[in-house]
Amino acid sequence: MRAPDPHAPSWHPRGIRVLQILSIVLMWAFLGGVVAWMVNVVQLSLSLGDALTVSVGISLVVIPVYTLVAGVLTYVFFGLQRGRRDPES
Amino acid sequence: MRRFEPDSTRDETLFRPIEQTGARFYLTVSVLVAIILFALVMYTRQVVLGLRVTGMMQPVTWGFYIVNFVFFIGISHAGTLISAILRLTQAEWRRPITRMAEVITAIVLAIGALHPILDLGRPDRVMNVFLFGRLQSPLLWDVTSISAYFAASTVYLFLPLIPDIALIRERGKKHRWLYTFMSWGWQGTPEQWKVLTRAINIMMIVVVPIAVSVHTVISYIFAMTLQSGWHSTIFGPYFVVGAIFSGIAALFVAMIAFRSAFRLQAYLKLVHFQQLAKLLLAMSILWTYFTFGEYLTGYYGGEPEEMKTLLYKVAGRYAPLFWTMVVCNFVVPVVLLSSRRLRTIPGILVSSITVLIGMWLERLIIVVPSLENPRMPFPGRIYIPSLTEISLFTGALALFALGFVLFSKFFPIVSVWEVQEGRALGKEETVERVESYLPDDEVSHAGA
Amino acid sequence: MARWGMVIDLDRCTGCGACVAACKVENNVQVVSPAEGERGRRMHWLRLLVEARGEYPHVEVRIAPNLCMMCENPPCTKVCPVHATYRGEDGLVGQIYPRCIGCRYCMAACPYSVKAFNWGSPEWPEALLSTLNPDVSMRPKGVVEKCTFCYHRLQLGREKARAEGRPLRESDYQPACVHSCPADAMTFGDLDDALSPAAQLSRSTRATRALEHLGTEPRVFYLEKRDAPL
Repeated sequence: MRAPDPHAPSWHPRGIRVLQILSIVLMWAFLGGVVAWMVNVVQLSLSLGDALTVSVGISLVVIPVYTLVAGVLTYVFFGLQRGRRDPES
Repeated sequence: MRRFEPDSTRDETLFRPIEQTGARFYLTVSVLVAIILFALVMYTRQVVLGLRVTGMMQPVTWGFYIVNFVFFIGISHAGTLISAILRLTQAEWRRPITRMAEVITAIVLAIGALHPILDLGRPDRVMNVFLFGRLQSPLLWDVTSISAYFAASTVYLFLPLIPDIALIRERGKKHRWLYTFMSWGWQGTPEQWKVLTRAINIMMIVVVPIAVSVHTVISYIFAMTLQSGWHSTIFGPYFVVGAIFSGIAALFVAMIAFRSAFRLQAYLKLVHFQQLAKLLLAMSILWTYFTFGEYLTGYYGGEPEEMKTLLYKVAGRYAPLFWTMVVCNFVVPVVLLSSRRLRTIPGILVSSITVLIGMWLERLIIVVPSLENPRMPFPGRIYIPSLTEISLFTGALALFALGFVLFSKFFPIVSVWEVQEGRALGKEETVERVESYLPDDEVSHAGA
Repeated sequence: MARWGMVIDLDRCTGCGACVAACKVENNVQVVSPAEGERGRRMHWLRLLVEARGEYPHVEVRIAPNLCMMCENPPCTKVCPVHATYRGEDGLVGQIYPRCIGCRYCMAACPYSVKAFNWGSPEWPEALLSTLNPDVSMRPKGVVEKCTFCYHRLQLGREKARAEGRPLRESDYQPACVHSCPADAMTFGDLDDALSPAAQLSRSTRATRALEHLGTEPRVFYLEKRDAPL
């Protein structure tokens, strides 16, 4: 079996780069969707006059949780880029 | 600084299923796809004709779909929760198990979340949940909690996968672009390791409360109503315990299946099974305790409507199912798992399968009998699922298996770098840790 | 605003079923085939509840019309995820058919089992097509429906009163079941109006409400039989 050369520069065409950035953007778009949904829910409960406290309370939990998850993912993405041995030429 | 670098030339057994595809793979996939296609046809028929093609009726307006929803989401707790707890407690034997547990979560969660949509009379209006959602309804609590769990557990599955993806990329035998894309530029530099380890540590803590919230909130669908047999304060923890219980059982079945299919005997050893079996045994006893508490308080209070439902389950039409559940969830696992002689892989497989059956029955016994015994007299009917519901159930199981098989075609089902890390550093770290537990002797005291 | 409610005198009710038939026709409630009916898909906004009470030799058969209780504190509206069942300004519990996603959570939550689900598309036999009520909207398959206290009659009554330039009278608004009862067992009116017969009957010593211990505060009252063993 041919052992791959560990020092060979990894294959990084521009397309893959774009895809990677897109995947992070997607996560934030998802977070944006969740925030929009929560805002909509709170507005609805205001206009219908029902369960405003619950709606605000739950959205106060949900939004930070999603932000944290998206944040961790972004932190890893940029952390890995910064930590590369051969920064993008 | 870490002195460990994963090696893509070691642990050939773990890479082989990804790089070599046999006839058995295609056979399995086509059988599973056929089952799923059949379920799809049956579902399309249901959408066209309405829910009259199911066995549901008045007053049993929830049936298999809701039962399976609770069951599948329960199984999803195997994963992330167990893997997170084992990582948190630094259980060294976790290394070959965590990946499989995390995969179960991601797949089963998606399948489980599909079930309420199967149950809808108007699936075309599912967007109303987002457009006109009211957070007053426990159903919306589910939507938020399950989607958060799905996001978190997918990230938690992906992060520890990155070094393994890079290993496959280095081997360069398959879809190089895919693995290059997914490895996010991983080169295993100390800085990258630091970032990844920190992120995994954050996620494993975040994921635990989210997982607990998911099944608590699912139990609230029932507990928040006034119906007899549902309106109970212990439903939250009771459902969480049941979820972890069935999750471990599902994890065992997956472990045993992949162990024999991929010849992983060297990685998944008897000791791994026996360690995890202790957890299954503990959950079995905990589940029995909760069941006992739930039924005894209902019985002792003797409130007539509550009693009607309770006796219907324990001594009425559901008695055979109820006592089968007790045997499956308590008698079999306790007998097989508490004796060292019986705690073998076949013994564990048998008890896992009975636990899965028992926990499915438990969900059925919670959902249906309460509906069959409404508070106001209603012409009594028993719920019998139709072919549509049964085929959608088998379809969901097939989808789960297919998801697992496809995952194992692209990624190692046992975490390669974690196993190698255990080999390189685990022993030393464990010794250091144990040494730190020991009492400080006089010399070091004097030195400090 | 009027607090519409109903009082049903079980001493007068003969169990003839006129209210059941009137309700079904008035509200275009789906008629299912006998085979589907056998399988539990029969739809009613109002059904007769037949119950044997007591132990031999003191047995009493209790027949009571069962319809939406229009709870002041409804368990069904709380759980609806999309506001398809709601409590309106006049305190009546309504359904929004085009909004309903058909999850049937409200049915599972209703302790009175009064909600009905459209298991299939409504199909009308030729003979029944001409009897459909144009004032009541038709429901498609897959949504939940229930008694509305014939809300369309309230709207018609309001329009009539407005056209005649006078306030709404109780006689302007009577649900079809009350209207059709040959034994005069059902009384409908404003429970807050001290002069209204319904309000007076609801304060009778015989007045009870179904499953009162649940705290749902129904607006439908039952007058128990005078010689009831319980």
